[in-house]
Amino acid sequence: MDAILEVKDLTKHYDGFTLDHVSFTVPGGCIMGLIGENGAGKSTTIKAVLDLIHRDEGSVTFWGQELAAAPDRKEDIGVVFDGINFYETLTPVQVGNILRAAYRRWDDRLYKSYLERFSLPAHKEIRGMSKGMKAKLCIAAALSHRPKFLILDEATSGLDPVMRDDMLDVFLEFVQDEEHSILMSSHITTDLEKVADYITLLHQGRMLFCKTKDELRYHYGVVRCGAATFGQMDSADVLAWRKEAYQWDVLVPDKEKARRLYKNAVVDDATIDDILLLYVKGERSK
Amino acid sequence: MKSLVLKDLYNIGHNAKSMLFILVVLAVGLVPTSGAGGYMIMCAVLCSMMTVTTFTFDDMAGWTPYALVMPVTRREIVLAKYLVLAVFCTVGDLFGLAAGGVCGFVMGEYTVGPQAFAELAVLALAGWAVAFAMGSVAIPLVYRFGAERARVLLLVAFLIPAALCAAVYGLLWAAGVPVSEGMLTVLLCASPLLALVWGAAMYRVACGIFARAEC
Repeated sequence: MDAILEVKDLTKHYDGFTLDHVSFTVPGGCIMGLIGENGAGKSTTIKAVLDLIHRDEGSVTFWGQELAAAPDRKEDIGVVFDGINFYETLTPVQVGNILRAAYRRWDDRLYKSYLERFSLPAHKEIRGMSKGMKAKLCIAAALSHRPKFLILDEATSGLDPVMRDDMLDVFLEFVQDEEHSILMSSHITTDLEKVADYITLLHQGRMLFCKTKDELRYHYGVVRCGAATFGQMDSADVLAWRKEAYQWDVLVPDKEKARRLYKNAVVDDATIDDILLLYVKGERSK
Repeated sequence: MKSLVLKDLYNIGHNAKSMLFILVVLAVGLVPTSGAGGYMIMCAVLCSMMTVTTFTFDDMAGWTPYALVMPVTRREIVLAKYLVLAVFCTVGDLFGLAAGGVCGFVMGEYTVGPQAFAELAVLALAGWAVAFAMGSVAIPLVYRFGAERARVLLLVAFLIPAALCAAVYGLLWAAGVPVSEGMLTVLLCASPLLALVWGAAMYRVACGIFARAEC
């Protein structure tokens, strides 16, 4: 399948932080989840992908073209940042008027349908809206110019679980079209477990992995064992570990193999949270 | 680009009433002391400074990164600010012309007739030019230093064009060219063109600064 977004060796240096040669590809018809602790480089990656900051190294192409060389491609990209980007005295109708003037493919009927679907009053000023309503307005605005690629930077963080679930349905509808994809950074890893096809983990500016969610879900496991079992484990079978109060939690890439080898240990399925915590807070095999 | 201008007009719309109130109060205070011409220039300058306020709104909303992901170029974003500046200058200038002119006639500064209208029209052109020239400097200052620090530096925005005008006047005087009333009228009539040339130069400076900006 053709890549919609291809990021190669993306590097950006700041004082005290470096986004270090991050590479990943987002194919058509899928959702890529970008995870990592605060300050891991998720927002920096998204900003560099969108040319909001200057890259020190690397390349970013959408449909094989750099945005700077093909600015019309921005028509095909919808973006939702963390927080609303419109001044607080604007209303959803005015936001629609502004964006209609910007996008050739702006669809008023679609925008109105999203406003109704998300229960957003068309003439209410943004300053009178809750954080969730603002997030929904941004998502409605991003979808209404009929983009092919959505970039969501913590877009669902202001929503309650019910509304988040509704939004995830919207995103899943969006990627039903094989020409559409989503790059989505989120702290709420359960959301990504529901919808993401790929997970990219960033830690301290470096990409630790980019894998399909199914690989993580069906193969990765957490071995919960005592010191004796931990001592027996082959370091080649271990990705990361962490000493808890009464046990060792060990992230392994092949949980079935671990279940066969370590009969005395409990081997759980690894959630994305488990993987994130063990990689970030635990120690890693060399 | 139309979307960028529309956004600023919507945003500033909420300040229109308070700006109108300020301009009316100024009419009462300024026309009797500085005359209709001074008031007219003040109206245009005050309205032009609303361009800086639009930057403050943009900062508060985090608009600029959003604008950059829209199908517009960085140059268009800067150009939109200059268009908004031109709109604000024109609105302020026309208001000043109307209110200042009426007050001038009522207070006897002018007597109704072609000469008074011509004089007011020339002053209106000069007022627009002063306001646009000041605003033109303010925009790159905002891109370089941010909206709040740029407000402080607006004095510079006033001093640079004023110093240039004084320098031109000084050069003419040193060259022994007397500045007659007719020449002054021609200069005032041409001042919007000079302001546009100045604005074009400042636009290039602003584009250069904004091209390097990270959002």
